[in-house]
Amino acid sequence: MQDRIREALKRSRADYTEIRIEEKETTRVVFRGRELETAGANIDKGGIVRCLIRDKGWGVATFNNLDDLLTKVDQAYQCALVASVPEPVELAEVEPVRQVVTAQMERDFRDVSLAEKKALAERYNEIVLSYSDKIIDSQAAYADSFSRVIFANSEGAYIEQEKPAVVVGAFAIARDGDNVQQAHESFATTQGFEYVLEKDELARKAAQKAVELLTARPVKAGVYPVVIDQMLAGVFIHEAFGHLSEADFVYENPKAREMMTLGRRFGKGLLNVFDDGSIPNLRGTTLYDDEGTPARRNWLIRDGVLVGRLHSRQTAARMGERASGNARAINYRFAPIVRMTNTAIDNGTTPFEEMIKDIELGIYACDAYGGQTQLENFSFSSGYAYMIRKGQIAEMVKDVILSGNLFTTLDNIDAIGNDFQWLNTGGGCGKGNQYPLPVGMGAPHIRIQNVVIGGE
Amino acid sequence: MDILTHLQSQAEQFELLDLQNEKTTVEYEANQLKTCTVAETKGAAVRVIRKGKLGFSASTDSAALDKLVANALESAAYGDPAPFSFAHPRPAPIVRTFDRAVADLPIARLVEIGKEILDLILPVEPNARCNVSLERSLVSASIRNQKGLDVAFRTSPLSIGVEIDRIEGDDVLILYDQLGTTTWQDNYLDFVRRLVQKLERARTITSLKPGKMPVLFAPTGALALALPLTQGLNGKEVYKGTSPMRGKVGEKLFDEKITVVDDGTIDGKFASASYDDEGVPRRRNVLIERGVLKGFVYDLKTAAQSGVESTGNASRGGLFYPPEPSFTNLILQPGETPLEAMLAGIDEGLLVEDLLGLGQGNILSGAFSNPLALAFKIEKGEIVGRVKDLSIAGNIYDLLKNVAAVSQEAQWVYSTFYAPYVLIEEMMVAGKSQ
Repeated sequence: MQDRIREALKRSRADYTEIRIEEKETTRVVFRGRELETAGANIDKGGIVRCLIRDKGWGVATFNNLDDLLTKVDQAYQCALVASVPEPVELAEVEPVRQVVTAQMERDFRDVSLAEKKALAERYNEIVLSYSDKIIDSQAAYADSFSRVIFANSEGAYIEQEKPAVVVGAFAIARDGDNVQQAHESFATTQGFEYVLEKDELARKAAQKAVELLTARPVKAGVYPVVIDQMLAGVFIHEAFGHLSEADFVYENPKAREMMTLGRRFGKGLLNVFDDGSIPNLRGTTLYDDEGTPARRNWLIRDGVLVGRLHSRQTAARMGERASGNARAINYRFAPIVRMTNTAIDNGTTPFEEMIKDIELGIYACDAYGGQTQLENFSFSSGYAYMIRKGQIAEMVKDVILSGNLFTTLDNIDAIGNDFQWLNTGGGCGKGNQYPLPVGMGAPHIRIQNVVIGGE
Repeated sequence: MDILTHLQSQAEQFELLDLQNEKTTVEYEANQLKTCTVAETKGAAVRVIRKGKLGFSASTDSAALDKLVANALESAAYGDPAPFSFAHPRPAPIVRTFDRAVADLPIARLVEIGKEILDLILPVEPNARCNVSLERSLVSASIRNQKGLDVAFRTSPLSIGVEIDRIEGDDVLILYDQLGTTTWQDNYLDFVRRLVQKLERARTITSLKPGKMPVLFAPTGALALALPLTQGLNGKEVYKGTSPMRGKVGEKLFDEKITVVDDGTIDGKFASASYDDEGVPRRRNVLIERGVLKGFVYDLKTAAQSGVESTGNASRGGLFYPPEPSFTNLILQPGETPLEAMLAGIDEGLLVEDLLGLGQGNILSGAFSNPLALAFKIEKGEIVGRVKDLSIAGNIYDLLKNVAAVSQEAQWVYSTFYAPYVLIEEMMVAGKSQ
């Protein structure tokens, strides 16, 4: 294969050509209620050729038939001829790497029988279902995937990477009359099968939360001081801020560029945010991105000031910055775009107790159902939440949806916890048509003043 | 060995889907033609029932079909009992989903259509940043099973997605809509003209005091009302007991102005086809008629579990996913009131065009709470300007019990949703308390 790739690259007429070949085997077991919905394995094998003609643009061809790479290179070249960029496309310099990255797993999940994987999901499902007679539906899933990705380009890079991932998740739906509530927990790792064993507590927690939510009252809409847990803080920084740091959003839009000018204040001095794909064994770790750029730590906010952003080679060249290792594609069907890897709010100094002790009336919001942002406006649903009354965690409330303006909200962060955690959750990030991309998120507890909480 | 013969010897029931897709995509990013892509997909998905248990597997590696069969059989070995059998061969309605005029669209024509779209938007809004994605596919699929089902079909889906960002200072407006069709439409620019009209209208900014008021949902905004319904009407949620509409067929749950139809048989529509994704003929399903719940959407499996017939709503989220019940083209039936008259009756109210974060939260329960991405103030029957920083919340199972009016006018939006304007007499509109 290596020779055929080299030959195809050599014969390309484009200014720059890259080929990525991916072979992926996945296994999935899903229980829903008493029923096994899925237990099985799939095979996905294919490739992508991307050609750049500098004063035209990009052309892309994707395919399952790997027999004729030369034709595919030509197809991509023909596509590039159609494009018409206003200014020539340049790519930031990246040292061409030749490297083979092999997976390190203690217990390789490819050697584990489907029976054992099924039994594991079944056990977690049973824990959810038997938690209470209020639980009317459940979902428990086991999923693993092992991909081998070859990346090569016309500059001489040749990188082979093995990427393992294994995830377990539990989802519970509880009901009392017309009141239906749900909760979800998941755990992901890149390190091997043994890490997803002994996750009974995770399944129990999902069931417990769903049942507890049945007795929670909807939150009263208003403006509150809010403390958010590591999970919600991680999702918040990823969704509300991280996506704005992706340079493809700003690189040719003068107004967005102004909004994201390096040096602009993005919060009080205590706020530090980074993205880092080089930390071993996190969900978003990607030692070389899908353009062959090595991962590194990219500081985005330092001491409350915007200091960096995430790049592909093209956006980096366009903005006169360095490629950051953030050009990623979910699979061979897609060209890489600027994506996050592992994004985090750095650890602070305030203990949790201190954070809540002066709050007369506030909200402690935990976990995230999901969130959406429209540039500087965001909206998130927390999974569950509690009122804070007179400095104490009080009753549980539900339907807590935080929304607001990013700049105001970041500026309203006035305490950052000393309890940083990487969130080992499954799931992934969506952008364009590319979903789900594994990403990591991390944060300590944080406190935000004057948050608008929607509700009835 | 031929894969069908192989399957026949190994399992009492089998189903083989062969899928081939050639897709050409032309993408404009920030008003510039950026990328052109040709994607060829070829793969197979197998379902088997062996010893009464269901198995599934899919592969794009055509050199390893025996591994595909082995994976499907292994999957069945651990599978749960299958309460159903694969589709009987049955005559299906003739639905037009293939059009030479679409299939033969050359890349150059897609590029030109993109240009036409930009030429409509940019003269009106020179600061707009438009992403236009034009995608033309040629899909050939065949489904065969042990009952002698052997259906093959071709479709020529064309989709044109337009996203417009306008950023002025810290003010951001993002609009999106998508045209989806399988036959050539001469009026393919109409949806862009509607977006341009919204942009023009959004130039005037005004303010609105939060509180209870009449809320008029435009067809795009009406998705907020329809989305929870599509979950509640899904046969899978009904069988699982999680749908609030479970066990209520025949009851009047909504205002009589509400009629909801799923129709996969309309010629040329994006989600139309003669057969669903497991070879059952598609059909028109009236789900809510004049406020009365009539039924739900099912695939073979959930239908068997519920003791009813499949409604032809099996859909695969791609080669690698087994069929699930899902909506095709969703129709919220137009009503009898002219839009003019609806507006005229509003002294002060809100017109909701687009919401942020649709679909998040516990929408199965009918609840929604969303900030408004684009909304207008209605004053003395006139649309007077854009209002910002507002949000609405409610539960559709309450709101749709009492609908003030439904417009005669309706539009296809987001490719597969046909909706009129819907007026709710009184709803809570929340704002920032500053």
